[in-house]
Amino acid sequence: MTFEPNILAFCCNWCSYAAADLAGIGRMDQPTNIKIVRVMCSGRVKPEFVIKALSDGVDGVLILGCHIGDCHYVTGNHRTLKRFQVLERLLEHIGIDPRRIRLDWASAAEAEPFSNMIREFTEQIRELGPNPYAGSYA
Amino acid sequence: MLVLMLEDIRKLVKKTLDGGKVDGVLALWRENGRVGPHLFVKGDDISTLEIDPKYNLAAVAILALASGAKKIALIGRGCDERALVELFKRYQIDENAIEFIGMACSAEQAKFCECDIPYPTKIQFGKKVKGVVPPELNDVNEMSLDERFAYWRDAFAKCVKCYGCKNACPVCVCEECVLEDPMWVKKGEIPPAFPMFHLIRAYHMADRCVQCYECEEACPMDIPLTLLYRQLRQDMKELFDYLPGASDAKPPLTTVLEDEKLEEGA
Repeated sequence: MTFEPNILAFCCNWCSYAAADLAGIGRMDQPTNIKIVRVMCSGRVKPEFVIKALSDGVDGVLILGCHIGDCHYVTGNHRTLKRFQVLERLLEHIGIDPRRIRLDWASAAEAEPFSNMIREFTEQIRELGPNPYAGSYA
Repeated sequence: MLVLMLEDIRKLVKKTLDGGKVDGVLALWRENGRVGPHLFVKGDDISTLEIDPKYNLAAVAILALASGAKKIALIGRGCDERALVELFKRYQIDENAIEFIGMACSAEQAKFCECDIPYPTKIQFGKKVKGVVPPELNDVNEMSLDERFAYWRDAFAKCVKCYGCKNACPVCVCEECVLEDPMWVKKGEIPPAFPMFHLIRAYHMADRCVQCYECEEACPMDIPLTLLYRQLRQDMKELFDYLPGASDAKPPLTTVLEDEKLEEGA
């Protein structure tokens, strides 16, 4: 059986979720490996969310927000960006491939870039293979 | 040398207390053959004051101030000072309520703690010695991702979830800790799930670890926690030009992007 990546995407209500919506309305062709969790702002995504997803066996995690400067809450995504940089480093220190997580921006009009991003990331995770980091010692 | 220093410190503490500018002096004392933190007040027997072993007093200062003291002096080391700075920034202690009396650590102490800044910014006692970098730092940096994962997985497999690292930490001050929330950490599971438990703690230490070595010393299973936190301190320096405890800047994870960084992010 071929490996089908299981990917979690956190989309913000105002931009990236609308982009996902538009991609759907536009009937764009994209992989169906993504499970979207809608959050009000990408700044809502605590690093704990990402760590828990990886720890529980998700193969890849996407965090999508508004472009810097376009955040509905003005500076929500500033914090996301900073946290993400630290989280990337931390994963690397502990031996988890940081390519399994990705932070990107999509405005409500960017349906095509959105579906390209989804395609690209799904392919990347497919190449990386199943998540070897999952779980407890039990 | 150490004995002389101790005598000098005791004299200064007596003088400070008699001067009446502070309500008490927070330091270590010997009682029933054991050493622990104590708030000395006027009239106390100063001969019980000790400076060894190392004990981070920064978080104890919160308790001392909560007990009614308005202003206290604190006898501390480099790590005490750095932890105090982080607590000031996070509004846990009023900066004006503490008079810091700094002493430098000896070379042996610096080696024991693998401390790279074994002295405070203002040294009133002792001599500045060179910092120490543990050789293991290079080893983990040179490992491949998979080797590193195996290394940490094995290290954290020893964890008995005693929360000693959290309790000993002078800058862990949240009233509600995510590590005690069953949403993130399953109750009754030992060792706790890796990487969940330890990554969360490490992330929370990222912009505040002052490298006092208390967590690793408290750990009954000898997990090399400070090795990981040390790497995070380096990241903070590289990413945000911020060194917890040493820098006056606000913690970068609590602030927004400005100027040229705004362009980079876009």
